[in-house]
Amino acid sequence: MFELPKPVLVLGGGIAGIQASLDLADQGIKVYLVERSPSIGGRMAQLDKTFPTLDCSSCILTPKMVSVARNENIELMTYSEVLEIRGKAGEFKVRILKKPRYVDTEKCTGCMICMEKCPSKVPSEFNEGLGERKAIYIPFPQAVPLKATIDKEHCLYFREGICRVCEKFCPAGAIDFEQKPEEVELEVASIIVATGFFLDDPRKREEYGYGKYENVYTSLEFERLLSSTGPTKGEIRRRDGKEPKKIAFIQCVCSRDLKSNKYCSSICCMASVKQAILAKEHLPDVECTIFYMDLRAFGKGYQEFLERAEREFGIKYIRSKPAKIEEDPKTKNLIVTYEDTTSTKFEKEEFDMVVLAVGMKPNLLKWLPFEEQEFPEIGDYSDPVSSKIDGIFLAGTVSGPKDIPDSVSQASAAAMRASVIAYGGGV
Amino acid sequence: MIELVSELLKIDEEFLDELISLGGEGIKRCYQCGSCTATCPLSEDGIIPLRKMIKYSQLGLKEKVLENLTPWTCYYCGECSDTCPKDADPGEIMMALRRYLTTEYDWTGISKRIYHSKTFEVMASLVLALLTLGLIYLLHGPVVTDKVDLETFSPVRTVEIGGHVILVVLSALVISNLYRMYKFTVGDSAKRVPLSRKLSEFFKTVPVHFLTQLRFRKCGNRIPWIKHLILVSGYASAFILFAILLRWTLTNEIYPITNPLRILGYYSSAALIYVSLDGIIGRIRKRERMHLHSHSTDWMFLILLLLVGLTGLLVHLFKYLGMAMPTYLSYSIHLALVPPLLVLEVPFAKWAHIAYRPFAIYFQKLKELGEGGV
Repeated sequence: MFELPKPVLVLGGGIAGIQASLDLADQGIKVYLVERSPSIGGRMAQLDKTFPTLDCSSCILTPKMVSVARNENIELMTYSEVLEIRGKAGEFKVRILKKPRYVDTEKCTGCMICMEKCPSKVPSEFNEGLGERKAIYIPFPQAVPLKATIDKEHCLYFREGICRVCEKFCPAGAIDFEQKPEEVELEVASIIVATGFFLDDPRKREEYGYGKYENVYTSLEFERLLSSTGPTKGEIRRRDGKEPKKIAFIQCVCSRDLKSNKYCSSICCMASVKQAILAKEHLPDVECTIFYMDLRAFGKGYQEFLERAEREFGIKYIRSKPAKIEEDPKTKNLIVTYEDTTSTKFEKEEFDMVVLAVGMKPNLLKWLPFEEQEFPEIGDYSDPVSSKIDGIFLAGTVSGPKDIPDSVSQASAAAMRASVIAYGGGV
Repeated sequence: MIELVSELLKIDEEFLDELISLGGEGIKRCYQCGSCTATCPLSEDGIIPLRKMIKYSQLGLKEKVLENLTPWTCYYCGECSDTCPKDADPGEIMMALRRYLTTEYDWTGISKRIYHSKTFEVMASLVLALLTLGLIYLLHGPVVTDKVDLETFSPVRTVEIGGHVILVVLSALVISNLYRMYKFTVGDSAKRVPLSRKLSEFFKTVPVHFLTQLRFRKCGNRIPWIKHLILVSGYASAFILFAILLRWTLTNEIYPITNPLRILGYYSSAALIYVSLDGIIGRIRKRERMHLHSHSTDWMFLILLLLVGLTGLLVHLFKYLGMAMPTYLSYSIHLALVPPLLVLEVPFAKWAHIAYRPFAIYFQKLKELGEGGV
């Protein structure tokens, strides 16, 4: 007796969601991949390089994104959100809101002329607010689908009833200001939640002056400065355009901290080591200092990577959690106060840039039956992909802080479990 | 060999338990990030190695803790406890260490018993108070009831003798404890420092820090330091009035309101009552960091202080109202409270910091000189 498999819903188009979708689709299962932003790619698309090999992040990710777009079994629903999930394993009913892009995706060729002409500038989410995009935009050059989206909140036509410049210049005639939100209902056998993470608010540690001092950055902001698709085209520059001479990386900001998150965010040590190495590659004379409490090099080749950073690139490690950062009002340089705990010395050291390795929080939406803002509980620790709800599986950083290899492994495992239910088993 | 190593590495659990029972329960939580040391406003003028003290405590290195003066240089502004990522409460750990060191500097063992047994503390205070009351009962002069005649009821000479006895006992205890503190902390390290230098450093540090706790001024906001200064001036006025000028204060004479002695008396009572009451209310409401945790010795000290202040004021009121019996009674209670406050609190408990704090700064200086640091 052979039955056709039922479809599976994957929430989140980051590396975990992409991997899970591909694995399911390759088994002949229909996949709905829902992504709330205009393009898939997620956090990995924002990264310049990956640790410990320093491979180009988009070189690994982009082919996978393209495979998703080409796969006949995957129905990609970008710029869409889940409104409601009902039912149970084997027969979930999911209501999805397709937000209007105000661009006919059938006609749009991704030529980007509209982006050039649009007069309304908006801080770019992809660049963590460091650069600007237009009100009509494609978030990044490798976006999938490569289709423009009008951001209604900032579009002059929607705000003031004027402009419509994009419409005039679009060679394909793809602009459609009349588009309406659309609701669809899907029936799926199982669901994979791969909604990823966001960085916690470093203002919770106000002594570090994030948001107050212009040269204090989060790790993701700094990653964008390193990237050739970033706001500075890969040149490390401060907000005043100055090239930094001394960069401090502060670990465990909003991690291992009872005042924000108790847990260790796991990837920040390696991410900072990687960023320090990349900074040295960009600016050979720059001095990089990493302030850490414990260096957690938990994966294959990580310890070697961390030692190489010191040996080959002269990255300085100081075991300390700095107490505070003060800004020199004239130079905008930053004075970091800390105790070097290996020598019990009280120090005040000046840097011209500080990067905070900020802890991760899961992207959980209110319609998910999990406690908001906290990593959802895993059903069983010997079965780390299943959530507490039958038929709903977890993949990637939404279930706990993890790096790319672990996210991908978990995604494949979740795909396997979801496929069992899609074929009518395991319920 | 393995046994020897494991013996060496064994953590002194008893020592750790003792610190925890004195309020240092955060010691076990600390993961040594060092943000306390770097947060401390006093570290700017020379490191206050709070983290290292906690490390010594975690490892049960009793000798290292004993030879260290760090806890006395902390005035508990609480900023370290506010920033601590593990809520280990370094400020309170320093408080626990001060309690521990007070018990260790004391050679009689009384301090240990006070800090580890509430019953002992209360009983000792009661016994001392009752003993004093008994002495007053035995030694008081004729009770004149038709007018207030304090001079007859309590001859100045008798009180003076009592005062001298307390002064001698107190000095002997404090000096011997300070000597032990010197042995533990400075020890042989200041051998090379010439006596003249030792003396000049003494005069440079002890008097000023004894009277003003000058370094406390730099800790966070200045209000606690100002309150402390008011309290110290209250003590000082009381000391001047009742230790030096007793002949003019233990008198039947009614002074006019402009009399400096009378004004100083009011100031002293107001200072003692205000600051001790403020401390008690603060500890009940727990609004400030330094008031979050209270050991029984903190309460005892504040309560004795408040009672001494209040009864002193009562004696004055009754005397000026011409009420003979109430004057004698409140006077007897007032007097009975003084020995517990002085004889128990100064050498053995909370008030011991009056000597240890200024001397810690002095001893620290000697250590630095001995090590050729400065």
